[in-house]
Amino acid sequence: MASVQTDLLNGLSEEDRAGFLALGVPTRLASRQTLFRLGTEADRAYLVTRGRIALTLPLRIRGGEEEILVEETLPGETVGWSGLVPPHRFTLNAAAAIDSELLGFSRTSVLDHFAAHPAVGHTVTRNLAAVIGHRLQVFQTMWLREMQRVVEQRYS
Amino acid sequence: MVMFATILMMSLLAVAACAAAFAAATRDESHSEAQPERRVVLDPPRFFASPAGKAAETPPVPVEVLLSQIERHVRLEQVAAEAYLDLPTRESLHSRTGSPLLH
Repeated sequence: MASVQTDLLNGLSEEDRAGFLALGVPTRLASRQTLFRLGTEADRAYLVTRGRIALTLPLRIRGGEEEILVEETLPGETVGWSGLVPPHRFTLNAAAAIDSELLGFSRTSVLDHFAAHPAVGHTVTRNLAAVIGHRLQVFQTMWLREMQRVVEQRYS
Repeated sequence: MVMFATILMMSLLAVAACAAAFAAATRDESHSEAQPERRVVLDPPRFFASPAGKAAETPPVPVEVLLSQIERHVRLEQVAAEAYLDLPTRESLHSRTGSPLLH
């Protein structure tokens, strides 16, 4: 597992990387198999090690409800931060786009590890903040682009 | 007697001729009735709608196609947003994509 390349572990020594990755429980998903559902309790976060995970949200179309792709996570990327961030409820649906493998990190094991290794906790938390911050900026930009189009359509 | 017979024969011939003429006339009528009825084609009632409005109607896009277009739109928008964050400028913020939903 020490060969997993992820921004989440940037700045950690090989020993610390291996120590953190050892907390992960391997999870295997077949194509289209659900990882988690919107609104359910989130007690763990995941690191994608192989395959592709599709994150979707429901959109009403012609009286029906369809799952719309919001984002895809690739090997080395994290999914399910809600497992680490209050209020610990998943805000998206996640399913394997193709056969995939992940490492699942339970919140309790991660917090216990951080308590025992504060320097690791500091580095991983900082990396996680950078990843979340970047995603926030991407979606903020996408939202603004859509708003611009709405304004052009309505008031031009 | 001969005169009576002659008049009778002439009458019979006249009746036969009339019957033949009547038969021919009725055959023509039945033939004409068998022909398809001519219909007068009228435009559908338009009330206040203009014919141009009908041309603007487009068949609904199948949901599968729509979902595919939305997915492509999201991917393209994500790439455009990433490009903006790499080099933030006013132009790149509102750059155009080839999204099928916008054309």
